Amino acid sequence: MDFFSNLGMGFAVTLTPANLMFAFAGAVIGTAIGVLPGLGTPTTIALLLPATYKMDPTSAVILMAGIFYGAMYGGSTTSILLNIPGEAASVVTCLDGYKMAQQGKAGRALGISAMGSFIAGSLGVLGLSLIAPPLVALALKFGPAEYTSLVFLGLLMAVYLSEGSPLKGLLMMGLGLILANVGIDPVFGQGRFTFGVERLLDGINIVIVGMGVFGIGEVLINLETTEVREVFKTSLKGVLPTLDDWRRSWAAILRGSVLGFFIGVLPGGGATIGSFMAYAIEKRVSKNPEAFGKGAIEAVAAPESANNAASVSSFIPLLTLGIPGNASTAMIFVALMIHGIQPGPFLLQEHPQLFWGVIASMYVGNVMLLGLNLPLIGFWVRLLKVPYHYLAAFIVVICIIGAYSLNNSAFDVGAMLFFGVLGYFLRKGSFPMAPLALALILGNKLESSFLQSLQLSAADLGIFIEKPISVALLSTAALMVLIPLIRWLWHLKSGAKRG
Amino acid sequence: MVGGALLFLTGVGVILESIRLRIGTPISPQPGFFPFLEGLMLIGLSLILMILAWQGRGQRSEGLGEIRRPVYLVVGIGVYVFLLDPLGYVLATIPMAALVLWILGLRSWRAIGLVSVGLSIGTYLLFALLLGIELPRGLLTVLG
Repeated sequence: MDFFSNLGMGFAVTLTPANLMFAFAGAVIGTAIGVLPGLGTPTTIALLLPATYKMDPTSAVILMAGIFYGAMYGGSTTSILLNIPGEAASVVTCLDGYKMAQQGKAGRALGISAMGSFIAGSLGVLGLSLIAPPLVALALKFGPAEYTSLVFLGLLMAVYLSEGSPLKGLLMMGLGLILANVGIDPVFGQGRFTFGVERLLDGINIVIVGMGVFGIGEVLINLETTEVREVFKTSLKGVLPTLDDWRRSWAAILRGSVLGFFIGVLPGGGATIGSFMAYAIEKRVSKNPEAFGKGAIEAVAAPESANNAASVSSFIPLLTLGIPGNASTAMIFVALMIHGIQPGPFLLQEHPQLFWGVIASMYVGNVMLLGLNLPLIGFWVRLLKVPYHYLAAFIVVICIIGAYSLNNSAFDVGAMLFFGVLGYFLRKGSFPMAPLALALILGNKLESSFLQSLQLSAADLGIFIEKPISVALLSTAALMVLIPLIRWLWHLKSGAKRG
Repeated sequence: MVGGALLFLTGVGVILESIRLRIGTPISPQPGFFPFLEGLMLIGLSLILMILAWQGRGQRSEGLGEIRRPVYLVVGIGVYVFLLDPLGYVLATIPMAALVLWILGLRSWRAIGLVSVGLSIGTYLLFALLLGIELPRGLLTVLG
């Protein structure tokens, strides 16, 4: 079957009343959580997991994907109107978006960000549908050695590209790998790190960790501050960008889309880095860089386009290689596993309807989001007035239901609380959470493919440098570690000379 | 510094447990082989983190802020874990939701009562009855 017939099959899956409803629900929930500061995308997806247990897996992923890219649309609203980013990926939008709001141009800033998001999201989906199949064909050639190198590189990228210090990221990766060891070991069948607790033989469920670290942990952090949200009182009329706005923004939207797309494909890359890089590049290529930070519309258009394109393209490593690149796609990975579906190269062969259905739902979802965001901006702004205590009580209750329903056991609720406290202290220590979640998910795969490689090569570690794909992946990993190290040593040396 | 020390101790614990599990060799790895490498990694990295923190060059962590309210919530959910099965989801969730609302500054008892009862019953109806997720009925089982 060729590309168009595959996509046609995807649309046939998406355009059923039930899946259209889930795509719409995803877009609405995503916009809402994007608007609301204090509730992140991975948290929301983790919170929704129990609701998807009895759903069709394709519908579940359509819903969750909608939440993920929908949040990118909503995130700009709070950045522009409150100077508070609803999502990390909208931090940079505050710089010029809020300035535009102060100058009475909030409507135009919101408008260009929604239009940019739509164009970038649509281009991103087109890129995803074109790139994913050949990447699957390549991934099918992977043996255990290539897979080991790929997972290793994926984890390292998640560390080096996630926010915060790479050292702390590496520590979180180590901690995640250790947590993945808990339970029956995948190769020898022996219980590890269970300390005589029978329940731990099944391992630590990522849903419990996700709900604890992202859900309860986030509530605990927010409990420390009593945040007063003040919406900037300005005219929201004229949300359609003017011709002059388009003239200034179209190239920024295209550059942001392309850059965001490629950053999103990298594990750990994601929407946040994409938006920051798009802003930086836009400033560099601009004829009026001095206008940046003072309410330049192209400085809103570029990062908002980049974060949408990145959120869509981050599905590429998940769907084709089985490697979630960020915490949100990690939660979607978990949802697939709960339904007995292994994300990775075989997904396209074994579940083509899910694969193409989800892609087609993104085309539909982007159109829905444009319709939801521009005319309903007034409604989303009102949503900001919902006091946080109601939201927090709801998050805590949903986390409890999610954890309990895994095994109908209060023990799991206690375990979730433990991870909530752990997440709280780790956040306080500025440790990034994404490498922990990804290492926990991929830890067993890394170990079993590493040991399988050794079995195949009669314990010769050379197997990792004999296969060209593995060599390329490991060389990239080595460069990622060595370049910052050399740069650090260089700074140290030049600092010593100056001192 | 404290985070680094705790991670260092975790690494030591992992090494000890992996020795108990048997490490083997790279040619013939045993169940403790991978955890051993991970333990070494954690020890090495946490040592670097502690040295950088000691020299004042590390990335600064946030100080502990208003710790009372997070502690109240953790203790509240901790007690809830023990009450969930005997009392059942609906009855145990009402006081827990009320506690969260109170900790977050809601002071109207009427609003606290209405929201916590509504949240508890509403989520039960949604998840247990509509979505078919099993939640403990506890004391309510006597109602049949």
